[in-house]
Parts: sequence; structure tokens; C-alpha cells
Amino acid sequence: MSKSYVSSGNKEDTSHRDDQKSKESLTGTSYNRVEDHRILTGESEYIHDITPDDCLHLAIVRSPHPHAKIKSIDTNEAKSHPDCALILTANDIKSQYNPMPTGLGKIYTDTESDNDEPIELPEWALANGRTRFVGEPVVAVVATDRYSAEDIVDLVEVEYKPLKPVTDAIDARKDEVIIHQGVGTNVADTESFEFGNPKSAFKDADYVIQGEYSWGRISGVPLETAGVVAEYDRDTDSFSIDCNIQLHTLVDDTIYRTLGYDPKDVRVNVPSDIGGSFGTKIAIHRYCCLAAMASQQINRPVKFEEDRIENLIGGDMHCSDREYKMRMAVDEDGTMRGLDIWFIDDFGAFPRYPVNQVVKPLSVLTNSYMIEDVSYEYELVLTNKTSQTAYRGFGVPPHIYAIEMIIDEAARELNIDPTEFRRQNLIQPEQMPYRLPSKNIYDSGDYPQILHRVNELIDTEREEGGLLDPQIVKEKRTEGKYRGVQPGVIIEPGVSGSDWTDRQRSDRSQLSDRDRSDVEELPEYLQVRIDEDGSVTVLLAADSSGQGHQTIVSQLLADELEISPEKINVGYLDSVDAPTVYGSAASRMAVMLSGAATGIGEKLTNNLQLLASEHWDCQFGEVHYRNGSVERIGSENKISIGELAKIDADRAPDKRLIDVSYKYDHPATNIEAFDEAFAEKLPVYPTASFGANAPIVEVDIHTGDVEILAFYTVRDCGTMLNPMIVDGQAHGGIAQGIGAALLEEFAYDESGQPQATMLDEYLLPSVMNVPPIIMEHTITPSPFTETGAKGVGEGGMIDAPASIASSINDALEPLGIVADRIPVTPNRLRQKLRDCE
Amino acid sequence: MLLTHLIRSMSENNMALSEMPKPDRVKITITVNGEKITEEVSPRLKLSDFLRNTCELNGVRVGCEHGVCGVCAVTMDGNLMKSCLSYAVQADGSVIETVDGLAEDGSLHPVQQAFHESHALQCGFCTSGFVMATKNLLDENIDPSPEEIEAALAGNLCRCTGYKNIFKAVDRAVELMEE
Repeated sequence: MSKSYVSSGNKEDTSHRDDQKSKESLTGTSYNRVEDHRILTGESEYIHDITPDDCLHLAIVRSPHPHAKIKSIDTNEAKSHPDCALILTANDIKSQYNPMPTGLGKIYTDTESDNDEPIELPEWALANGRTRFVGEPVVAVVATDRYSAEDIVDLVEVEYKPLKPVTDAIDARKDEVIIHQGVGTNVADTESFEFGNPKSAFKDADYVIQGEYSWGRISGVPLETAGVVAEYDRDTDSFSIDCNIQLHTLVDDTIYRTLGYDPKDVRVNVPSDIGGSFGTKIAIHRYCCLAAMASQQINRPVKFEEDRIENLIGGDMHCSDREYKMRMAVDEDGTMRGLDIWFIDDFGAFPRYPVNQVVKPLSVLTNSYMIEDVSYEYELVLTNKTSQTAYRGFGVPPHIYAIEMIIDEAARELNIDPTEFRRQNLIQPEQMPYRLPSKNIYDSGDYPQILHRVNELIDTEREEGGLLDPQIVKEKRTEGKYRGVQPGVIIEPGVSGSDWTDRQRSDRSQLSDRDRSDVEELPEYLQVRIDEDGSVTVLLAADSSGQGHQTIVSQLLADELEISPEKINVGYLDSVDAPTVYGSAASRMAVMLSGAATGIGEKLTNNLQLLASEHWDCQFGEVHYRNGSVERIGSENKISIGELAKIDADRAPDKRLIDVSYKYDHPATNIEAFDEAFAEKLPVYPTASFGANAPIVEVDIHTGDVEILAFYTVRDCGTMLNPMIVDGQAHGGIAQGIGAALLEEFAYDESGQPQATMLDEYLLPSVMNVPPIIMEHTITPSPFTETGAKGVGEGGMIDAPASIASSINDALEPLGIVADRIPVTPNRLRQKLRDCE
Repeated sequence: MLLTHLIRSMSENNMALSEMPKPDRVKITITVNGEKITEEVSPRLKLSDFLRNTCELNGVRVGCEHGVCGVCAVTMDGNLMKSCLSYAVQADGSVIETVDGLAEDGSLHPVQQAFHESHALQCGFCTSGFVMATKNLLDENIDPSPEEIEAALAGNLCRCTGYKNIFKAVDRAVELMEE
């Protein structure tokens, strides 16, 4: 249904390159984005803009109770509304469709099973007899337009019997209120890991430091909410679903399994432009399913556009909500000996697919520090809140935060300088590639050097008149304004792509028997076609929500084919035409797309040469590809790619040479050192970008307000394919990190009501909150990847929250306060200050 | 203003709200991006929906519908406003400009060009609002101070860029508009 927008090169920037393209590499330059023109002029089509002529509109009746039995649903008055086309309840969908897949495999349920085997926890797209969070969809209504649909929502009468809710994960562990009766406990999953010998490390160490840290429930909150237009085709008994789901070629199973159809009969298509996702839209399948079911019932296209309040309270899109108990074993000389990490993560009402975000931190188990003996245990707890999805960093940001906090506390207790303490324990460049106790490997980097550099930068602020000029710091303190800064080095794990992601659906007792050959991997896929006019069409199997993939592919392929990027159009495949690949998540695309583009470029030039040599009836070695043509060596003969496309078109379809596809395997695939981690389903992230942050903060102890005066950062993501886009990713990530550290939280009160229901309650950073960001880069190419690039999509959100909290610790060190709970809101901080007064 | 007028007329006529006549459709005329558009609309139709659905202007986007995010910003009679907070009937007789009307013959307005050159957009969903806010600022003040820029953009949210490049784009737009 939707137009697939293909990008074409930005004309104003590239005309000068048209005829002389050859050696001048575009990759590595800040080539302006090809996506921009259509977005800036309003020509772009986001999912909300797609409305087929005969489309009907869906709205949702949602539970006002955090926990309740549904006694009855009366739809009579609603059905009599003249604009009402359809009403769906759980009873209506249960007879024809399936529950939505959950993230856990083996769990006892409240559904009676015929044998003792546990089965999957059923989550119906509409609440089935019981509601488990405020905002849970109970009834779907379809009408001629959205205004009428919302009128009809008001006419549906649902009678509830409220039950006692539980919205605190620590309380939920006591199992006094059970979210899923059949499961019998709210601790839906738990696993404990031991690496090295933590017991003896803790026994032998001179000191054991303990701390408890709390990470507030936050999320990506993209400015575009979820949207879907679904159309069922009776003739072919199949669905076409336009939506802004993330990872549409990977998680389409959540849609077709729920509908009960084969993957080939459920075509999931994404617009070229998606208004942000940051992981959150991975889990919008409920909406896709409801619109598809409705469309099948009434044989008309059905559209659903989530509104902001629905998005914030019941959009299945909150993320990590953790309580940490940390212990660190340290020797008198400042050597970090061991770590003991325990946490619970509040997943809300249903344990959905991204349950593995409690496992991902193993990929950066000890952050940038050399610690051999570590224990790691999590409990995944269910409560009466909306379910979790992914958010930039995927469970890593809270882990890094907890580590940096225990380090600050250890430094205080040992009375050593926290920067020196960190420096002393950093992994050294000569140890690279460095294998973590949890078996992931850091590829390259000089961590002491980057820490040194950020220290040099903030030293300039210690000079006269600078933000940290000792005289100014002293004066400010008399006004109750405490300034501080704490540099540290933080790792961003990049490029996931194997079956560790379903670890929690596996029988974990069998994992040690797995062989490397049992591992399923998720490559990245590209298709390229040359047209007779010499233009090149590239199709991605990944979706884009602002990362500039069309630009990156244009740059890389223009270099590979030695043609102008203007001749390259980049579009998207739907879930049926694309193979099941991974897509844009886990800081993958810089590495995977660049690897795929390089690979397919080589394949294509090889095939073009083959085609030309056949055409001229000469040896392959007698031709040479250059600047968009194949030349016959030693002659004036040359034949352009457009002409070769015409020749190719005459060949039998299965013999075509320049309509090619290519799969780029995960960069760790052929590196034996990763085999063990692969086989054991431990998270493998073969690139380690790293950064040293030093945010300078000022805490007003009278108001509890924290202001970031300047954010210094030195970052390294290996080879930069497009430095402008790299910077943009870092700026945006840091801004989100500021939100996480100081502003954002989905709080619930004790009665289970969400406290952040609008954007003036869930506070996103605005231009007023984001400080000057002073950024430098170092470049340490990855030895593991095709182009030397490392993953770069998540860094700022991973490192900024911990860095800001650490700087607050430095500022408040004289008062003995630690930022043990983020976001550090004025109210919370004042409470602490009052307590220590 | 409409509301006070309504309340006054209610009390004058001593008529309860439920007894008020409810017109199904109201005829309005709005000049949108230079084109005079006359339509009969439902009185409860939001201006943002009128622009998006009736006028088919995709450049107007909707992000929160409660006036916080600024994604739907347009100018009405030269003043920046959030179109999600107004009904279409309230805009009757006004002149509205949206981002869709800025580019001329395919060439970008200097503010759009500056956003492009400065990489001031990623997902682009907030961009129309920022472009309109920037244009509105620079139309009134071609040499804004950093504080003035901050104040002018404080009503718009961006989740991708961290604002740094948006700031840069405003500076660049000043350069381009002075050229």
C-alpha cells in the first residue's frame, strides 16, 4: 500500500563528482544525507500518513485498573452507533487466533495443560478475563474515522472487579500478589553465573565494598508513536501490513504466529522513514495483530494510530527498571579483585521478547576494567505495569551505572582518588584483543590514553576563569552550588548476531553440550539491481528510523562501483521478500551494512566483468572494471553498466548476473576465539567502541537541581564511515543519557496508577537541558570488521547516565552523598540532603 | 476566546450547554500556504487533522496532541502555534503556513537548507516543527543571541539530535538568509 520511498543522491552536493568519480572515496566523508530533502519538504510518508481511501479506523478500550477481573463487557450501545463497523473482545479473537509469543519458553501457566510440561505464558492481544496493567487493551473498536471510534470507545461498558496490585518489584518477589496465577510466582526467570573464582576473591581481598543502586523505568519515547495499516486479502487469504515496527524481518514472527499464518502470507512492510524507535518499536506487534484481525473480519483496510497517552501508559514500550545489589572486592593497593552483581528487573505484566536484555550486560561484564572473578545473577520479576521492550543500549546502561557507582564508593572507602583508581585497573592496550571472563572479546583500543586525553581537556577548565577554576568552585560552594566532574572509560558493545538472544527460551542445562555448528547466526542482507539507464537500485532488509542507512549505503556502493552516488537508489524489502535477518539493532548497521555493501560491490563488479568477457568472447582476465564501465584491456572498447544491464536482460532469469543478493556474515563468525561464547549462548558483541566522558556538573543543594555545565567526551568507534552521522549518534545518545540521569521516569503510585501519562510528566530533554557537548574522536579500527568500523548507535545512552551520576558523586563527595538512584530528581536529592543535614 | 464567547452567549440566553444547537458542519475558509481553502468541517476537527487529512499536508505531523512536543507547529497569521491545540474552526479566516509550502520549485528554503547541511535531523519527525520555529524566529530577528535561539526552540522536542546540530543549523540559516 505505501509508496516505498527510495532515496536518490543529494544533487546539490555531488554534481561536481559526476564525471570524475573514481579514486576519491566518499566513505569516511561527511557526505550529506540523501534522506533529508523529502523529510524537510514534507514529501516523506511516515506510517501516520498512510490512509487508504476505504480505510477504517481502530481505537482501543483500555483498562483503568492495574489489576482486575473483567466481570462483563457490554458492547450493545457501542454497536448501535451509526459509525461502528466492528467490535472485538478477547472472546472474539480467541476462537480464531493465537496468543502473542512471549519471551520465555518454559514457564508454568494458568492454562491447564494436558501434561506436566510447562507451556508458554499466553498473552492475548486483548485482555482475557483479567487485566494486569493500567492501559492494557481490553476491547478494540473499528469505525469510519478516529473521532467516531473514540466516541464508541466511550460507549463500551466494562465491569471490573479490582484486585490488589503490585507495582514494586521488591514487593512482587514476596509473591503476596501473583500476576499470573498459574505461574505461581512473580519471579518469571532467573539465572546465576560465576566467572573465575569470585568466592575466593571476596575471601582474600582486603576490602569488600557494598552498595545498592536503583535505575528508574525509562524508555526511548520516539516522537512518532506506533502506527499500522493492515489489509486482509480474501482472494489470496493473506495479509499486507504497513507499520513502523522495528526489525520487521526478524520479529514478524510475533505477528504471523499470532494470526496463525505462514510467514509468506503476512507481508510486513515498513515506510522508508520511521520517526524514531531506539528499540521501542520492536514490540508494537499487538497493534499490528489487532488491525490485521479487524481487517480480516470486515474485509477492509484498518488503520491504528497510537496516541501519546496510550503510548506512555500502555504501549508495551517501557524499558529496564532495576534494583542492583553490588559488592566489590578490592585490595589495599587499589586492585579490583572481584565483582558480585545481583539485580532484579521489573518487566511489568508479561515477559516479552527482549527478556534477554538482562543477559546482554555479560558482553561488557566488567566495563573497561580488568576483573577476573565475577558473579552475576538476575531475577526477572513481573508486576502490574506495562511490559518492557528494548531501548538503546538494551539493558547495558543500568549495568554500567551500577559498576561506576560501586567504584566511586570503593574509592571513597579506601580514600583513594577515583580517577587514579579507575586508571590503575583499566584493561591495557597490549592486552587487546581482551577476553572478558564472560567470554566476549574487546577488539581494540587504548583505554588509558583516552582517559588521559579527557583529563587534559578538563584540565583547561581548571585554569583561571574555567568552570573548575578552584577559586570559582570555592566561591560557588559558599552559595550552595557544588561543582564536580568524574572522568571514566565506558565500553559500547557492538554488533550482535547469533542465537544467544533466545537463551532464555532454551534448556539452559543443555547449553554446555552445544557445538559451534549448532549456532544459528543472523547475517545482514542486500539486493542490488542495475537498470538499463545505468542507475543502481539497492534494497535493504533492515528498517531505518533516522540512522541514515540510505546515505551510508549510497556512499559505500558509490565507492565500490566507482559511480556517482546520485545514480544509486536505496529502498526497502518487506518481510516476505527479505530473508530473516536481524536488522537495525544492537549497534549493528555500521559494521553489517558496510560489510554487506563492500561484499555485494565486489560480487557485482566481478559479475559485470564476467558478463563483458562473455559479450566480447574473451578471457575474464582481459577485462577490467573501472568507473562504471568494463574496459577491454589493451583496446578502446568499453561497455557501461547500463548497456551490460540490457545484455543481461536478454539472459534467462536464472542466469542473470547483475541482479544479485548478498549476505554478510557476522564478523565474529570466523574468529575461533568467539566459538565458546557462541556455543554456550553467551552474548557475542565483537566490536567494542569506547569513550571517556567528563561531564562537569553543578548541584544546587538548596533546590536539588543538577545542571550540566559542559559535557566533555572523547570517543572511539574505529573507522568512521560518515563522521557527521557518527557525531549525530553521539549527540543524540548523550541527550538521552541526560534524560535518563536527571529527568525521565515512568513512576507508578502504590495503587498501580502510572504517574507519567503525558509529555509534561515524562520529561524529555529539551534545548534547555542539553549542555554544550565538547567532543573529540580517536580512531582505533576494529581488526574484526570489513571496514574497521565498530558499532556506534548506542554509545551516548550507555555511557552518559553513569558519567553524570559519577560527576554528581564527585560534586557531593564533601557531603558523603552518592547518586544511588537515577534519575537524580530535585526532590530525591533534597530528600537525601535533608537526611544528611 | 471562543470559549468565553460561548459562555457569555450561554448565560445571555440562559441556555444549558446540552441544549445548545450542535452544528454538524461549519463552513470555514483558511489560506494555507497561499491557497484559499473552503471546507465544511466538523466543529471538533483539530486544526492539525484538518491540515494533515483535509489539506493532505504530510509536513504537519502529530506527536503528542497535548501541546508539549511542537511537532505540529505551523504559523497562523505570522505567529508560531501548535496546530494540535486548535480546532480548525478557530482558524477560520486566518493565513496558515506549514513546512510544505517553504521550498520553491524544488529548492529548499534557507532554513531547510541549513538543517540539511548541519545534519540537524535524523528521524525527521520533529523537523517540520523546528524548521517552522526557526523560520518564525529569523523572520522577526535575523541576528538572534544564543539565549534567544534557546527561547525560540524551547517549545519543540527532538529525540534524536541532542539539539547541538539544530543550534548549528540556526546559525547557518542566518548566514544563508543574509547571503
